[in-house]
Amino acid sequence: MPNSIVNDSAMMSALGREMTRAVQRMAVASGNLSNAETPGYRTQEMHFAEALDGQIGALQPAATNGRHLGSSADGGMVREAEGGPARRDGNNVQMEHELLALSHAGSDFASAQTVLAAKFRLVRYAINEGR
Amino acid sequence: MPTLRSAISSAAGALDVQRARLEVAISNLANAESTRGPDGNPYRRREVVIETTRADGPQGAFGVKVAGIVEDQSEFRERFEPSHPDAGANGFVRMPNVDVPEEMVDMLGAARAYQANLAAITLIRETVQKALEIGRG
Repeated sequence: MPNSIVNDSAMMSALGREMTRAVQRMAVASGNLSNAETPGYRTQEMHFAEALDGQIGALQPAATNGRHLGSSADGGMVREAEGGPARRDGNNVQMEHELLALSHAGSDFASAQTVLAAKFRLVRYAINEGR
Repeated sequence: MPTLRSAISSAAGALDVQRARLEVAISNLANAESTRGPDGNPYRRREVVIETTRADGPQGAFGVKVAGIVEDQSEFRERFEPSHPDAGANGFVRMPNVDVPEEMVDMLGAARAYQANLAAITLIRETVQKALEIGRG
């Protein structure tokens, strides 16, 4: 099992992580959007490179145990975005940008969900012996 | 950890805040010419103080709330109108410190932010719906 290239549970947990990631991005974008008029608020963003490193680290235990779902320790993955034009009140949220990020994350979530649902259909098909 | 629930409650909190801003802007506009308040002074312009919070625990999404509604302590405007019953000895009437165009702009901003957060809630709700479909045949 540890050496098989792709197994179902690894793929499913990867899809699950993808959905978790999309949800986190949505939460960050929605937090930015709700603070679009708060003086002094700085746009928050997920930093993907470090998030990816975290996930690759989390994949190591997944190889030793097929049921390992990977870590969701994400304390430090959200940080203030750098640059961006700030308004006079120190706020640098761009509403359009956040709405776009929100719908982007939504469609990522939807595509992962579609694949995951197809996976589950296959499993159900196997359980029902092809009926 | 941020969840869809914390995302939705953060957007809902923003709806609350923007509605409060709209209400305050409208009451400022309505009282732009009120020369008598309960304390005998002209109406003072009110302002909403907005504060960032954590919507759902320390790791949740950033939310927002109304920290308070404060009175603008800037000077009253004065208008020369000797026939006005509230005019002083020199013929000047003290008028509220409300700037009508500024209130209009604030109102537009609040309405736009309200719409954006409503759109966000719709998107998040669709995602929740989509998540529920995993369990369906």
